[in-house]
Amino acid sequence: MSDPVSDPMSGPIAAEQVLALEGVVAGYGRAAPVLRGLSVTVRAGEVVCLVGPNGAGKSTALKVASGLLAPRSGRVMLAGRDVTGLTPQRLLALGLAHVLQGHSVFREMTVAENVRLGGYTVRDQARLDARIEVVKELFPVVAERWGSMAGLLSGGQQKQVEFARALMLEPSVVLLDEPSMGLDPRNTQVVFDQIDLMRRAGVAVLLVEQNARRALEMADVGCVLDLGRVHISGPARELAADPRLGRLYLGGQPAT
Amino acid sequence: MTLLLQGLALGVLTGGLYALLASGLSLYFGVMRVVMVAHPAFLFLAAYLTYTAHTAFGVDPFLALPVTVPLFFALGVAVQRLLVARLAPDNLAMMSVLLTFGLALTIEGLLGTFYTGSYRSVSMDYATRSLTVGGVHLPYDKIIAFSVAALTLAVLFAVLVKSRFGRALRATIQHREAARLVGIPTERVAGYGFGVGLATAAVGGAVLALITPFFPASHWVWIGKLMAVIVVGGLGSVVGAALAAVLLGVVEGVVLVTVDATWATMMFYVFLFLTLLVRPQGFFGGRLAHRF
Ligand SMILES: Nc1ncnc2c1ncn2[C@@H]1O[C@H](COP(=O)(O)OP(=O)(O)OP(=O)(O)O)[C@@H](O)[C@H]1O
Ligand SMILES: [Mg+2]
Repeated sequence: MSDPVSDPMSGPIAAEQVLALEGVVAGYGRAAPVLRGLSVTVRAGEVVCLVGPNGAGKSTALKVASGLLAPRSGRVMLAGRDVTGLTPQRLLALGLAHVLQGHSVFREMTVAENVRLGGYTVRDQARLDARIEVVKELFPVVAERWGSMAGLLSGGQQKQVEFARALMLEPSVVLLDEPSMGLDPRNTQVVFDQIDLMRRAGVAVLLVEQNARRALEMADVGCVLDLGRVHISGPARELAADPRLGRLYLGGQPAT
Repeated sequence: MTLLLQGLALGVLTGGLYALLASGLSLYFGVMRVVMVAHPAFLFLAAYLTYTAHTAFGVDPFLALPVTVPLFFALGVAVQRLLVARLAPDNLAMMSVLLTFGLALTIEGLLGTFYTGSYRSVSMDYATRSLTVGGVHLPYDKIIAFSVAALTLAVLFAVLVKSRFGRALRATIQHREAARLVGIPTERVAGYGFGVGLATAAVGGAVLALITPFFPASHWVWIGKLMAVIVVGGLGSVVGAALAAVLLGVVEGVVLVTVDATWATMMFYVFLFLTLLVRPQGFFGGRLAHRF
């Protein structure tokens, strides 16, 4: 966090905004909107953490950012360009990756096929082979279980396959929806270390976590989401100590 | 003993054909979660086209395939894009049954108008003889049906497993959102999946034309049998359906020679009910077979 690029408060030379949701209103089908004017900004080399109760709209916010869900109004900006309504395929090409909440491996495919599909849009086989070596090193399980059916891996192992798949194209913006869910402490650490590595590499990370204290400890900026809007946001460490966080979200325990 | 062997051999041959006829149903269910009641109607549409090609132009049933297969592929893409994709997701299963039921009736009506209600058949000299091995008679038409089915399924599997399109299709079936996130145009892929399903009907129809007489309402007999096959195999599993098809074909064949035809047909429903009671997810779906 001493790294100047990662400090959101670094004044006039603040890093460029890589991803921004601006006044996003979004929902499913004809139902009332889930997001009601949500605004979030992520800069290069910064980890922004969204916390909030179940059903607050955290996953929905990420789906809007990755193009899975088109907003009813508001804008999505990626690297200074308006990308509202673009398909996930286009956003992927612009450097965005999204790891979904829960499990999203292709269960009846091998780990190898899963990871290779991360490079589905790229025809340059040499580049993909090189990336495969990189992600295998980042996530040893991927190398160990290369030929196994992905659906037969444990939950935590599957999660690592999903990360490997998402990192195949060296994204510059990564959306992570509860990445530590179901992971043991060691693998949780691996994931958080991985996030830290990405930040150092200048990647912008938008993180959703239920493990709020832990996530806010490592994030740069925190946002508390409720009912489709950001209620409090600020430097993550200050937010972690904010008594309002406890009241709004953590069920009234005193903040530590 | 010979009788049993006879039933077994015929069962395997017919089972192979069932596998081909049901593979389309598994694909539709896999890509769109729809129950395509009109699949057998399309099978007989293909059978009638084969009949026309044969009677009007003297074309061998299998030589018409280069025309009917692409035609049916295009029809399948059109059905998915113009009809199925427009159904609301909340009541897709139910509405898809109604929609495809309507399609089946429409096709049946058209066939009745153009071909009248009388029985038609395509008979080729090469299909009328039979091979005798150790007292077991294997009619050539059944052998041809089995071989064509096996070949078509082999091509289908090769496409699903090895090709870029096949990987995209399987990814779309297994996790649609994750597939979109790796850049797969899932809507287009689902349309092509439907097209491939209907393309199998073009082949299946040509085979049916060769082995059985048919009339416009023939498809109703098949929908029940084929649904039983895909439920026993595990909905949406192409491999599961193929295994279940051979199993049911053999059971049918053996019951046919040892009991009677009524019981033989009944076995499909007996297995259907047993599956729903004991293992509703199907016997070959999930871990044993790769659900495509
Ligand atoms: N595919 C969907 N179709 C319809 N409604 C949905 C869908 N996904 C989410 N919702 C609704 O949107 C609201 C917000 O859901 P969302 O998944 O964004 O919450 P979340 O903040 O991620 O919650 P959690 O902490 O439980 O993951 C919920 O009320 C939910 O019922
Ligand atoms: Mg969520």
